[in-house]
Amino acid sequence: MNRDWKNLFPSRRMIFLGAGGVVLLGLTARLAELQLFRQAEFETKAREVRIKLEPAPPHRGTIYDRSGRELASSKRNFYVTLRPEVASQDRDLQKRRQEIGEVIERVGRLLRLSEAKKRTLLQDATTPPGHRDILIADDLTWEEFAQVNVMAPELAGISAEVGELRSYPLQAAFYHTIGYVQKANEADIQRMVEHELTVAGEAPDSPEGKARATAVRRLYKHPAMRVGKQGIEAYGELALKGDPGKVRLLQNATGRVIDRLPSEDLAGKPGADVVLSVDADLQNFAIQRFGSEAGSAVMIDVATGEVMCMVSTPAPDPNLFVSGIASAPYKALREDERNPLYHKAYDGVYNPGSTFKIVVAAAALETGAMDPEDTVPCSGKAWYYNRFYNCWKPEGHGTMNLRTGLKNSCDCYFYRAAERTGIEEIAKVAKRFGLGHRYELGITGGKAGVVPNNEWKLNHPRIKERWYPGDTISAGIGQGYVTATPFEMAVMIARAAGGAGMPDPHLIVNGLRVPDPTITPMGEFKPGVLELVRDGMLAVTEGGGTAAASGSLDPENKLPAPYTGARMAGKSGSAQVIGLDKYRDSRGRAISNDKLPWHLRDNALFVAYAPIDKPRYAVAVIVEHGVSGSRVGAPIARDLLAHALRTDPGARKAFVPKTRDIASADGAAQPT
Amino acid sequence: MIRKDTLLYKLTQLHWFLLLTIIALATFGSLVLFSAGSSAHDLETGLLKIDATMSIAHMWRFILMLGVMLAVSLLPLRLWASLAYPGYAIGVVLLLLVEVAGNIVNGSQRWLTIGPLTLQPSELMKIAVPLALARFYHQMFAAGRSELWIHIVAFIMVAIPVAFVLKQPDLGTSLMILGTGCGVIFFAGISLRVVAGIMLLVAVMAPVVYFFGLHDYQRERIHTMVDPNADPLGAGYQLLQGQIAIGSGGLAGKGFMEGAQKELEYIPEQNTDFIFTIIAEEFGFVGAMVMLAAWAIAIVQGMVIAGTSRSSFGSLAASGFVTTLMLYVGINIGMVIGLLPVVGIPLPLISYGGTAIVTVMIGFGLLMAVHLNRANDMTLRGLL
Repeated sequence: MNRDWKNLFPSRRMIFLGAGGVVLLGLTARLAELQLFRQAEFETKAREVRIKLEPAPPHRGTIYDRSGRELASSKRNFYVTLRPEVASQDRDLQKRRQEIGEVIERVGRLLRLSEAKKRTLLQDATTPPGHRDILIADDLTWEEFAQVNVMAPELAGISAEVGELRSYPLQAAFYHTIGYVQKANEADIQRMVEHELTVAGEAPDSPEGKARATAVRRLYKHPAMRVGKQGIEAYGELALKGDPGKVRLLQNATGRVIDRLPSEDLAGKPGADVVLSVDADLQNFAIQRFGSEAGSAVMIDVATGEVMCMVSTPAPDPNLFVSGIASAPYKALREDERNPLYHKAYDGVYNPGSTFKIVVAAAALETGAMDPEDTVPCSGKAWYYNRFYNCWKPEGHGTMNLRTGLKNSCDCYFYRAAERTGIEEIAKVAKRFGLGHRYELGITGGKAGVVPNNEWKLNHPRIKERWYPGDTISAGIGQGYVTATPFEMAVMIARAAGGAGMPDPHLIVNGLRVPDPTITPMGEFKPGVLELVRDGMLAVTEGGGTAAASGSLDPENKLPAPYTGARMAGKSGSAQVIGLDKYRDSRGRAISNDKLPWHLRDNALFVAYAPIDKPRYAVAVIVEHGVSGSRVGAPIARDLLAHALRTDPGARKAFVPKTRDIASADGAAQPT
Repeated sequence: MIRKDTLLYKLTQLHWFLLLTIIALATFGSLVLFSAGSSAHDLETGLLKIDATMSIAHMWRFILMLGVMLAVSLLPLRLWASLAYPGYAIGVVLLLLVEVAGNIVNGSQRWLTIGPLTLQPSELMKIAVPLALARFYHQMFAAGRSELWIHIVAFIMVAIPVAFVLKQPDLGTSLMILGTGCGVIFFAGISLRVVAGIMLLVAVMAPVVYFFGLHDYQRERIHTMVDPNADPLGAGYQLLQGQIAIGSGGLAGKGFMEGAQKELEYIPEQNTDFIFTIIAEEFGFVGAMVMLAAWAIAIVQGMVIAGTSRSSFGSLAASGFVTTLMLYVGINIGMVIGLLPVVGIPLPLISYGGTAIVTVMIGFGLLMAVHLNRANDMTLRGLL
């Protein structure tokens, strides 16, 4: 009954409140136990043992050449760090500076650090945020490391660590393609944060995005962590870097790390190994062959599209940059007129000069503007649009056809060919030969040369003019607005040799995906066009041609089949450096190049392929201010091709790195 | 003299003492959250660091819910009684939907997305179950029934949502709903002998459930509670670090914003479920006891309201909600100080974020409504 319940309810409330009282009593008793009776115990624990989660830099992926030679690898690194808040806990900035300064001074004496370095370190250590490790020095010898280790207990905040450091065993050989790693600066960190957020598809202000940004930040601030600054190291940073693990650090009251606690679930994942198509042996050979000349050489395997070597010389040793390069040697590198820091093969745009005649010849034949047997007279100069255009040979070549025009590199012939073909058709064929495109190779930088036409000139921000007929005449011999990088020139000669079937050029064969979907395909030319152009290039290296001295790659028939007695075909070029016009005498003739200052002399170019019947390797060589393509460029091209035929790197299948054994909770993680 | 049928009059008749207790607790929560974000001596810089984001967000959420609470309390209690069954039915249907089309968060299926809304139907059931039971008993008592079978029917009404929530799986919330439901059945006068019998049965069944009915991670939590030192870097980490924070607080605490353990991110969930560690570390035993006393006052006030209501609907709804409150506070603090296994239950009005504040403030609104309508011996005839 309702009344019964009304009588019952008060007792139920009392039972409930009684139970509540028991709960309250229980909680109070437990709190009293923890806070009153065991307070001392917990206070000690709170101060003594602290466990800190720190990111552990992952193993960086190795970069190999096609034969499995290590181009960039990791070596053991002894390094020393300072934790400022352990070195001094003083709240007063002045006192803190003094105490930390003392520690830096003592460890600096041990490691023979410069005064400037010590000042920078002190500045770093006393600037917030202080709760992080600062790198004092790395790449130490074992003796230095041992000394610091012995002293460490007396030096508050100093600890000697072992980690990994990037190393480039071949030194300068691949500086421009592989690049180097360095300690990340604020801009690098910002760039990596944005990059990783984009890849993960997370908004920077979402909780996941914020957590990721913090994790990336902490990793790159780790004293043993480096970031790729250029080349593949920068382009492939995300894949090469791997996933950081975490270590649990057991710290004592002063923050000194007592122990590292292994934990399998916190293991990271090593970075992906990357394999390049290049052959380190050929690369080294090319660099030696250049000697003290500044220049570039790019060789492509016509059969596979793989880049066999990509040389820019001179080059600095990337190992200098890993631990930070001092400002004086860096300044010297920057100011060297031979531009060692500049990636000539990929970033350098040059007038292709007479090597462009390959394109003009093909365009003239393809459009039917010229018949192979059409002749053009050459008297040393030709009259177009109210002015004279000079041939490189003042006394003239006489009557030229396509073959002899290429063989002698007669400018008059190509003025006529260009005039009849027109710039629009030349531009189309130039694109089909691979010019005017920045090739995505998986490295930073890279430029596209200019394949000019009316539209390009009208839209050019500084020119904004229509195309004049005279522009076509200059373009016909690869001067004026036409430019190309050595890499583009290598693609041009490889396509001329390989035809429409040549695979697209690429540098990375394993470890990184580098799609380049915007490459203009070569497409089929009319029957006979490429054959005629190749025949002309063959004439260049035969008796009477501009590079007749460099034709034979195997004069003693020593090469194994199918390369026995191989010859090369090619095209020379000598391109004026922009602004050279004023170095002419009153009759408009150029002053002899050899008498000009080095930096104003012509660039020497040569593009070639071998063997002539079944082309395998194609190379573009540029020697900056080398004056003559046929005298300086051709011998280098000949030696590179001869070396390539001798060692035949393209015939060997590219190296496949072994699966790394990884101690990781989720089994062996296979980098892709 | 204010006329008795105006809103203004109703306002003057609110349970102001209880209201002030609630406001005091929420303000204290905001203060603790201010400290959770800030630090007197930041480890990075050694300087004062202030971050009031959580604190301000908490205050805004509370103010918004205070409005909701007043609205609930000023609307006629009869309305809430009429909504009891439909609310319960909708809750069960939503739980069924979660089962079919819910979002999985942290390996558990609790949320339902309907257009722009994200609902957690299990939270709704914390209010809907005691309301439905109160109405059920009210009708039964009015019909003069008090036999055992009505309690069995009531228990089935509790068991259905509990089973759904348990399957999500959300042990904490299902225990809350079960506890609240059983509380109402207890208040409704089920024989104490039956209660004793059930308790005996539970005691016997406990080992069986432990070994066969629990997930591995749930068993691990119980093991961890008994011996957090067994795996100080694994499962017991959170608990041990929390106890270090609490224990090192001592009698008077380290002082506002002086807590050291929070800065090193030692304690996961410290702003939410483990907020009590900050209270105990910074305000010490004294501060923790003052807060517990405030909760005790709120609970006793709730029981007084339940006792003064003339309708059995009001009495039972009020006691059901008070049971919920006691479970919240008891389980949360019990788990943080290592008396109970870790289940995800926040400390209402103090923990950051979450839907607990919504549930609790609606519950307080109902409590206030019962108080305002205490003289009304409702007949529930003619309701849905």
